[in-house]
Amino acid sequence: MNCAAAMIPGTRWQQSSLLVFLVVVATVPFWADDYWTRIFTGVAMWSALAMSWNIMGGYAGYISFGQVAFFGIGAYTTAVLMQKGPGWGFFATLPVGAVLAGALAVLIGWPVLRLRGAYFAIATWALAEAFLQIATAAGFTGGSSGLTLPINASTSFFYYAMLVPAAVTFVVCWLLLERSRFGYRVKAVRDHEAAAESIGIDTTRVKIQAFAFSAVIPGVFGGIYAYWITFINPTSVLAGDITDQMVVMALVGGLGRIWGPALGATLLYLVDRQFIASFGETTAYIAVLGGLLALIVLFLPDGLISLFSRGHRTALSRQLLVRLLPGRGGTTGRGGRL
Amino acid sequence: MTVLEVSDVRRSFGGIHAVQGVSFALGEQEILGIIGPNGSGKSTLFNLLTGLVRAGSGKVRLLGRDITGWKPHRIARAGMGRTFQIPALFVNMTVQENLYAAAVEGDWKTARQRTGQVLDLMTLGDLRNELASTLSGGQQRLLEFARVLMRDPQVILLDEVTAGVHPTLRQVILDAITRLRSEGRSFLVIEHDMELVRAVCERVIVMDAGQVVAHGSFDEIAADKSVVEAYLGVPTQ
Repeated sequence: MNCAAAMIPGTRWQQSSLLVFLVVVATVPFWADDYWTRIFTGVAMWSALAMSWNIMGGYAGYISFGQVAFFGIGAYTTAVLMQKGPGWGFFATLPVGAVLAGALAVLIGWPVLRLRGAYFAIATWALAEAFLQIATAAGFTGGSSGLTLPINASTSFFYYAMLVPAAVTFVVCWLLLERSRFGYRVKAVRDHEAAAESIGIDTTRVKIQAFAFSAVIPGVFGGIYAYWITFINPTSVLAGDITDQMVVMALVGGLGRIWGPALGATLLYLVDRQFIASFGETTAYIAVLGGLLALIVLFLPDGLISLFSRGHRTALSRQLLVRLLPGRGGTTGRGGRL
Repeated sequence: MTVLEVSDVRRSFGGIHAVQGVSFALGEQEILGIIGPNGSGKSTLFNLLTGLVRAGSGKVRLLGRDITGWKPHRIARAGMGRTFQIPALFVNMTVQENLYAAAVEGDWKTARQRTGQVLDLMTLGDLRNELASTLSGGQQRLLEFARVLMRDPQVILLDEVTAGVHPTLRQVILDAITRLRSEGRSFLVIEHDMELVRAVCERVIVMDAGQVVAHGSFDEIAADKSVVEAYLGVPTQ
């Protein structure tokens, strides 16, 4: 216990709080009913997805609207491989989806990561739209009719199936982005790409590595999600609003911070579910979301996480959003000051 | 021994000839000044030498290797470091993290030791945990210079490194240049501060409209009519 405590940063109070948090999270199916277990399953999934977007959006400074493409690849990989023909087991499909998503990111990243700002955002959005159309037209995806997966009714199974990879995602992201040389390189690319090149950083390589890393995560979660909801079609796993949710969760929680996306995802997913529980399927939530986002960017540009941490104030969300404005983001990939 | 050899380098942007056939050589432990009015092509020349802008024609040799057309990170790894006219810092990272980012090779322990040495040289040790964006203009210049030194380059390009810097910090920069030169480094220095150019540069080349219009010692170029014209314009009769 003492040894473990020594490895965890923070005061004794913080360590104790973390321990309590971990115990609570790990035992959700034992104290929560099925409804709340499903809610927390969604929280785990969206936390990891928002974190995956944060790798490129928050750490590398590349605002992507194509993250859903990797989620869809994971979902369709699992769905196709679990059909009667191939008959793969669920867990065996996940690495395949992850590898395919990562490989696509490398392939697409090579040309697309030469763009910056609004141009990169539009290119990634077009990528996601292209995948939506392909999935609608292709035969092996079931087209717009979609695919049905074998049913697993265990709520606990899916909670842990989401929680464990989500926990791994956050630990790996923390190690890679906050505790390794790779993290410094990625952040250097975000802050000033030309300067990063001039000190010997191969920015093309770093961006592709970060892009592939950020794609692998939704590749895995897309597969788990497909099995969880048992039926997928193009609009359920390739719709643009899935990326939008990731973006908003990361922005609200705190860009370029490890715990920001988790905080944003938890808050927004709980609010979303409560809206639906109280008012049924309504679009009012979108209006609330828009207002909240505007308030965050205006008054809390480091996200909600900045209320809890005494880290440096950087207003990263404002800096990165400015890049989306024409003429402010650069187009060549050489970059300039923010 | 020549560490940097630039032969007939040219670059145009549309109809503007930013650099037109510039040639010079930089010797070991030499400090070569580059002066000229604004828009004369000095910073573009730096961009060409460091690979940020591709040369239209010409050759650049660094430490005996032809680096023409190389990517900037390869040139940096081959032994050339630079600062920018406007300090190009990683503004959302601390002073220390700015230096860690430059430690792209070698083991981590050595990188940390090097960081400590460089921070001491640039008198930035007390600011190591400060965010780069919170530093004063002069401190930002020091930090950018410090970051260049993390890779221990043989050839260092300084673009107006003392512009707007307080005299105390300016002296830190001058001392660092002198010390690094005595340890074997060579410098290309773009400057508008003629006192500094006179104090540290053995030779000076003067650029105007993308061309070298004069070269020689500071006293020689100060007496050159074409230099006076480049800076002050041609006198009207």
